[in-house]
Amino acid sequence: MNSSWRIWLFGGLLAAVIAAALYFPALRRQVYKAKTLTEKTAEQARRELLPVAPVDTGEPRVKAKMFWGSGESDGTLVPVTIDLPLSSDPTLRAKQILNTLLAGPVDPEVRTLPPDAALLAFYILPDGTAVADFSESLANSIPSGIQSEQLAVDSITRTLEANVPQVKRLKILIHGQEVDTLAGHLDLSQPFQVSGAPAGAPPRSSISILTAPVKKAYERVKGAAKR
Amino acid sequence: MVLDPAHGGTDLGARGTEGIRESEVLMAFAAQVRRALEAQGFQVLQTREGNENPSFDDRSARANAQRGAVFITLHIASTGLAGTVRTYVMPEIPVVRDPSGLIPWDQAQAPFQTLSHKLGDMVQAELAKRFKGSPDTAQIAPIRQLRTTAAPAIAVEISSVSVEDRADLDRMVPGVAEAIARGVAAFRPSYVVPVMPGTPMVAQP
Repeated sequence: MNSSWRIWLFGGLLAAVIAAALYFPALRRQVYKAKTLTEKTAEQARRELLPVAPVDTGEPRVKAKMFWGSGESDGTLVPVTIDLPLSSDPTLRAKQILNTLLAGPVDPEVRTLPPDAALLAFYILPDGTAVADFSESLANSIPSGIQSEQLAVDSITRTLEANVPQVKRLKILIHGQEVDTLAGHLDLSQPFQVSGAPAGAPPRSSISILTAPVKKAYERVKGAAKR
Repeated sequence: MVLDPAHGGTDLGARGTEGIRESEVLMAFAAQVRRALEAQGFQVLQTREGNENPSFDDRSARANAQRGAVFITLHIASTGLAGTVRTYVMPEIPVVRDPSGLIPWDQAQAPFQTLSHKLGDMVQAELAKRFKGSPDTAQIAPIRQLRTTAAPAIAVEISSVSVEDRADLDRMVPGVAEAIARGVAAFRPSYVVPVMPGTPMVAQP
């Protein structure tokens, strides 16, 4: 091997090392960026498509009172009592309650919230004000009108009032943002009073057994929790 | 009188399965209510005359710029028992004034709530006579449009765009217009503009 060939080999290897040293940080940045994007997209998709199902924490089952529509087109709510394994932690309990409210019933005449709406986040401030962040579907898919928007909000506030006494007021966000109205009518800029007199019509009767659609929705939630 | 046909422009409002659009029906609805009010001797302004969509604040400003105005926002629901009509008023808002003595814009309705409830009940009583299944008194709902309005203010919502034939809605409109005009006429003698010393205007942000 003559010296000229060795010089060429050494030069080639040196150039390859320099090129790799220059390219490696850029490659690392690209891989990191791709990983972040993938994670973000997956998280967004999960938050958009999959309501967080109530988790069976091993807590004893208690009777939860859910406020769904009466199904009589008159804008009234009816309390429905169902057995749920609810947490004693107020925040987790509120999430379980709201996800059950969102999950059922499947009967569109009785539903108060759009079937594709999801709870994205929920927390309770020390003064008893709760903040519930819902996906955009809550605003986009709800029938526009004063009566329908009020029915949706009343079903949320009255269900929280009946099951999570720590919540005194409720501020509703849509996809993390403060918005003026739910769907053009009901004011979301101010918190809603939860404990005390609700804005909607009083319940007319109490149902202590599961109706077929409610039972179906409940089984769906229970199945999701097991998964 | 300030009449507010809600929605407009790109905001079509409620849409029925048979293609009924709230924003369009409301223009014809507002025209009939206007005629009925003018027949009672009221001067009537509208927040929109065509297919535009003023902001909530711009609509409120039409009433807030008048002294002694009455504000009615007109709506057609997506839901509810067909052939019924409901009047809505705001729930109680605490009266808060900033150090300058002005009432914050977003609480403009606060000093007028008692008057709004009285107006709402009077209009709803007239509606209940004409539309079976409608409530006897005004309902309470936190409606964005009413909150910034410094005048006796109500929302009137007809059910609904879900009817199969638009003629069903059109047939309701004369009765709704007459009920509103009679309700406002009955309210007029009791309307005394609230005295707010040092607060001649509402503070708009």
